[in-house]
Amino acid sequence: MMKPSRVTLLTALLLGSVAFAASPKDTLVIQEASDTPTLDPTANYDTGSSNVIENIYETLWTYKGSSLRDMEPVLATAMPSFTNGGKTLVVNLRKGVKFHSGNTFSCADAEYTFERNLVTNSAESGNWFLAESLLGSSANANDDKTLTFAKIDKAVECNNQGQLVFTLPKADPAFLAKLAFSGQSILDKQWAIKQGEWDGTEKTWKDWVGKDVQGSNLSKNPSGTGAYMLVSRDANAILLKAFPDYWGKQPAIKNVILQKVPELAARQQAFLRGDADMIEAGSRANIEEQLKGKPGVVVVDNLPNTSATGIFMNENIKNGSALGSGKLDGNGIPANFFSDANLRRAFAYSFNYAQYIKDVQQGKGKQRTMLLPDTFPGYDAKVNTYSYDPAKAKAYFQKAWGGQVWKNGFVLNANYRAGSVAAQTAMEILKKNVEALNPKFKVNIQQKQWSELLNDSKSGKEPMIIIGWAPDYADPDNFMYTFYSSNGYYYPRSNWKDAAVDKWLEQARTTTNAATRNKLYSQVGKRAYEQAPYLLVPAGVGLYAVRDNLVGATADTYNPMLGSSTLFTGTLWKDLSKK
Amino acid sequence: MVNFIIRRLLQIPLVMLALSLLLFVIIFQLTPQQRAAGYIRSEQQAAQMDTIIRQRGLDQPFPIQYGKWLASTVQGDLGFSRTSSKPVLDTIKERLPSTIELSLYAGIPIVLLGIWLGTMSALNKDRFVDQFLRVFAVLGTSLPSFVLGILLLKFLYGSLGWLPGPGQTDVINTFAVLDPTFRHYTGMLSIDAMLNGRWAVAGDVLRHLVMPVLTLVIIFSANILKVMRAQMLETLTSDYVRTARAKGLGHRAVNLKHARRNALLPIVTLTGFTAINLLAGAIITETIFAYPGVGQWVGGAAQNLDISAVMGFALLSAIIVVVISTLTDLFYGVVDPRVRFD
Repeated sequence: MMKPSRVTLLTALLLGSVAFAASPKDTLVIQEASDTPTLDPTANYDTGSSNVIENIYETLWTYKGSSLRDMEPVLATAMPSFTNGGKTLVVNLRKGVKFHSGNTFSCADAEYTFERNLVTNSAESGNWFLAESLLGSSANANDDKTLTFAKIDKAVECNNQGQLVFTLPKADPAFLAKLAFSGQSILDKQWAIKQGEWDGTEKTWKDWVGKDVQGSNLSKNPSGTGAYMLVSRDANAILLKAFPDYWGKQPAIKNVILQKVPELAARQQAFLRGDADMIEAGSRANIEEQLKGKPGVVVVDNLPNTSATGIFMNENIKNGSALGSGKLDGNGIPANFFSDANLRRAFAYSFNYAQYIKDVQQGKGKQRTMLLPDTFPGYDAKVNTYSYDPAKAKAYFQKAWGGQVWKNGFVLNANYRAGSVAAQTAMEILKKNVEALNPKFKVNIQQKQWSELLNDSKSGKEPMIIIGWAPDYADPDNFMYTFYSSNGYYYPRSNWKDAAVDKWLEQARTTTNAATRNKLYSQVGKRAYEQAPYLLVPAGVGLYAVRDNLVGATADTYNPMLGSSTLFTGTLWKDLSKK
Repeated sequence: MVNFIIRRLLQIPLVMLALSLLLFVIIFQLTPQQRAAGYIRSEQQAAQMDTIIRQRGLDQPFPIQYGKWLASTVQGDLGFSRTSSKPVLDTIKERLPSTIELSLYAGIPIVLLGIWLGTMSALNKDRFVDQFLRVFAVLGTSLPSFVLGILLLKFLYGSLGWLPGPGQTDVINTFAVLDPTFRHYTGMLSIDAMLNGRWAVAGDVLRHLVMPVLTLVIIFSANILKVMRAQMLETLTSDYVRTARAKGLGHRAVNLKHARRNALLPIVTLTGFTAINLLAGAIITETIFAYPGVGQWVGGAAQNLDISAVMGFALLSAIIVVVISTLTDLFYGVVDPRVRFD
């Protein structure tokens, strides 16, 4: 048996650890499961990286407070206006700004940044949408041989007054929002070249085309103008400290530690004990059951959600095996089964939206009018929505295909993403309600691996799938064009084409007048309601949990477009403090 | 013996070649889309899937892809791990010392405790001690490490606050460890802290090691206990033990010198397996306790279909298996002098 003296010693040792455990007042401790794949803004296209990059680096402008419609300058001195019919943008840049390396920020840094983004434009990065605006092609020079260095060089230049000049091939009202993305943060040119990155010259540009710079030297040794600078990084943690020469107000939080803790239970224990100020806390169900109401925990709820999810009804199914008999004979469906709007409406009326909100979103869901986040410009809350109405669903099924669908029935094979409980539940709700209307209706649902589902749906092989879209930038075009245009990314999955909608969407992406654009998007929304190309899955309502001594994390300060919004407070660390 | 060691070491490249070929064949059962999915984190990136497949050469035939991998591996380039955001080799260099550290702290108690408890259990057959230890052995072998780990975290850290939480250090010491002035001599944090003269940090690291070590010790020592008990019971009834007793030798000498020594042979094999398991990464334990070893890395890599990481880890495992097997075989000679290698 252990002697009393040894027990005392062990107890003292163990209790000693508790004294060190609490997180200090000037230090923000964040525990997350997600990786931080890169600290190089050029390669940044994921939440984990954005969370850190947006605090180390700065963009020319950003969203004002929690708004997604208003911008405020950061490294620019004022929000610029387009000239030359929306094709030229001249930006005045802030003076007296230092990078973490000690270098002074100048126009050459901004020019280098955007040129590096355009030159590399790797497949994994988000630079495709910058290239689309500045070069008229989302590809890089390897994939689009018409792209030359001269073209890239001309797209972004510094003039004699030290102003940054963007020259667009055509007007792009989304361009301002695109530059607010943390992937377009301004790099320290001299520092980057010193680290062995692209030297910014035509002589070497070809070597960097399409290069994935996720693991670049710049990622290992970043130098931005942001309020925080990287101190060190190892396999377990990233340590940052406040940048003493920051041009803006010095933050109250002087140190930030991001710890990688893959296990949710471990993060929760640390959070409940106050060892972590913020954690990646998982789903709404988990936050409500495990954290809400516990001492020292504040849950900030009812936050806007910026993703949109729809159930696709493919009007040109290119997969024989998914069609069964391929006819309207009760044993399958024809390839153009969903081309009848009555049938699409029938499905839209068959979905129990309230039940989905209750079962999947713990009662905190919101039915939207369009496949566009309701906080985004262009969203029209007045557009009608479908509701669960078996009588109307029956009426539309009876109308569809001249009564053949109702008379003969069908077998529909629908797949959902393996492991997605939300997608599975949505499909089960739809199956149950549709099959209840007519014994001849049969909906077979089964799970499929994500990669397969993506591939098969892209080639139009999936009759019905459920997929979402998250924003790259807060402009309606990013959603509306993606979902509703026959030139949009999702078109091969829906094969829904409407000439009027196509025209309105093309107009909206080249019109800089906000009121005109809003009207156009509203028209698209109304037409989409009428034609029902998608079944609109209710949007979730966001929430996060923080320790109660954290100041500055509220619903009013939450901006859903910041990288940190997906998991945390939707604010920059410099705007937080601890009491 | 030298010949034996050289023969074994020469096996390493052959084992690695066969293993890599086998793994590549398995990985090749996945479609290029499935393999490209590892590079994709969102719907937006999925829009670039075809480009990713083309740029990464995932649509190339098997011999070309394997040939490219082999050529770069032979030159010491194991590829880039998307899970660690670093080259595979750098990741192994960074994380392996932590796993070795955990293996050392856990491995020694596992073996010693397993042998001691197994011996005790056998010597007290059917008494309370034996029954208690048999229950412990059943619990240890049947309790999944993620259940045990989370239970320990919940009670010893969450409820009682006796031990620190996940990670290697508390916040205050994380500053010290990540400070550029802190020198990393071995990569094993507790030892490096001592070499830096940072005793508080070393103490903190050791406190953080208690729960992962405890989890591993409970689970792995139970196995050794069971085998040791069975072997001891067998040797205690053997003729030579009876002869020794008949010669009037004391219990202690008979039990420990004659019986236990002979019961140790299977334990040597089992110890080898335990060491392989620990060094190849106690994946679950490292993940639960946020311990930055190779296990945590490869767990995430497998989930993310990080093929470079999985291949690199497989090669590392092959080396570990061959080296530990060789050491195990050599140790047979120490335990049983009848074993010869030439």
